[in-house]
Amino acid sequence: MIILVLALVGQSLATNPNFRWDTVRTYILDVLVVQGIGWTLLLTVLSMVLAIVLAILLAFMRQSDNPLFRYVSWVWVWFFRGTPVYTQLTFWGLVAVLYPKLSAGVPFGPQLFSFNTQDVITVGVAAVLGLGLNESAYLAEIFRAGLKSVDNGQMEAAEALGMRKSKIMWRIILPQAMRVIVPPTGNETIGMLKTTSLVLAVPFTLDLTFVTNSIANRTYLPIPLLIVAAIWYLVITSLLMVGQYFIERHYGKGVDNLVPAPVKATQAVTAAHTTQTVVPGEGGHV
Amino acid sequence: MSSPTNDRIKTPAAPAATPLAERETLVRIQDVHKFFGSHHVLRGIDMEVKQGEVSVIIGPSGSGKSTLLRCINLLETISAGRIYVRDELIGYREVNGRLHDLTTKGIAGQRREIGMVFQRFNLFPHRTAVQNIIEAPTQVKRQPKAKAKSKALELLDRVGLADHANHYPAQLSGGQQQRVAIARALAMEPELMLFDEPTSALDPELVGDVLNVMKDLAASGMTMIVVTHEIGFAREVGDTLTFMDAGVVVESGDPREIIANPQHARTQEFLGRVL
Repeated sequence: MIILVLALVGQSLATNPNFRWDTVRTYILDVLVVQGIGWTLLLTVLSMVLAIVLAILLAFMRQSDNPLFRYVSWVWVWFFRGTPVYTQLTFWGLVAVLYPKLSAGVPFGPQLFSFNTQDVITVGVAAVLGLGLNESAYLAEIFRAGLKSVDNGQMEAAEALGMRKSKIMWRIILPQAMRVIVPPTGNETIGMLKTTSLVLAVPFTLDLTFVTNSIANRTYLPIPLLIVAAIWYLVITSLLMVGQYFIERHYGKGVDNLVPAPVKATQAVTAAHTTQTVVPGEGGHV
Repeated sequence: MSSPTNDRIKTPAAPAATPLAERETLVRIQDVHKFFGSHHVLRGIDMEVKQGEVSVIIGPSGSGKSTLLRCINLLETISAGRIYVRDELIGYREVNGRLHDLTTKGIAGQRREIGMVFQRFNLFPHRTAVQNIIEAPTQVKRQPKAKAKSKALELLDRVGLADHANHYPAQLSGGQQQRVAIARALAMEPELMLFDEPTSALDPELVGDVLNVMKDLAASGMTMIVVTHEIGFAREVGDTLTFMDAGVVVESGDPREIIANPQHARTQEFLGRVL
């Protein structure tokens, strides 16, 4: 039954001339399209890097003993999660109107340096800021959940060994939290890949969606160019999923997919002859 | 303190040669109180532990024995009283008769001198046995990795797990995990070891291995405070037995005497239930 439906869909996809597969073929490797992919990827990567750095900071602040840190982190998440990303992107595009000059200096004192806002916050920077800051709020919650998922005994054990809090966070807590953090962060990265299509709000006009749309408008052929965009998003998503698999495998070390413990042959023989038998984990039974 | 008829055999080189009463006091607990909210968990604890002494604390759950242990290495802060380890005030700095909280750095420094073994082992699951052991020496004491590793392998050998160095905690049994945890604490070369119900989470057949490691450690002259339900261990290895109930020390003295002939009704009742 399912196979029959799939076959029908497949046949329709292949034979319906309205899909204009010839046009898809023409544009799939078009220079503009490939450049669009590049920009989309660059936006995704830069915004995610910015978001992850901020999110780690925000999650640590949220767990801090200092109430000011906790408050600031809460307000940040409240604000950036509470307003639409489209609005935020538009805002970053207009920042130069609000503040034509950016300067740094002592408040009410001498100025150290100053820039024209337009030179610093280019459309690209505005797009990354808009996407990254918005995403940091969502990721902060994911990271917080991850940190909370680590048993409190881990913190105590590390503290009892005389380790300092920052070191415990980086070396003991965060690596274990990553097991919980990576899958939803993979989700968010794939989400980000497609959210980049909103950067026209800045307006940033080089990303994949904008480029394919403008070609479609020029040629009056929207459907094949939507297909071009969809194929590329699918390809990139697939690559990201492969990357996520390897990251998950790295952070699952010692817990997930435990391979049978490495026992040297000689040791196995001696073990067999002594009463103390060694029973290594039998492949991810935890 | 320990009776002169102590028939326990210690290794000849061990500092057990000097009688306990003449030895230097390592831990001094003075009128310690602890509140959790309005719950008065510790109600004025006084206790002393000599250098090389094995001090066993028993008592019903909720008696405050674990809390007392956790106060000694600052996993809990005390509400009143003082704790000294080798004449150093734990958790505070005393300046002109006033107490100031120690900095986090100062607290971490004090903890380095005190090893702790937990009921639930708390090994780092993402690290192998040997990585668990070298973590603190390399990160806190900044020992070179090679040196820390050879020391770690020695310690693993000492707890009978030399061929398990590269196993992850999940590949070890509870008893093996606890022995790695003991090795991990020893790697920091502490002068005091705290054991918080080290065998309570273990299957009965695995308890013996852990207790044997603790016995060896006691024989080597390590100062130990052990919260446990293992009365047999207290009788065999303990120099002092302290019975706690409802946040106070009810009875304290030679383990064999207390177990054979408890003076207080509450001690009698407790021992009657666990023996």
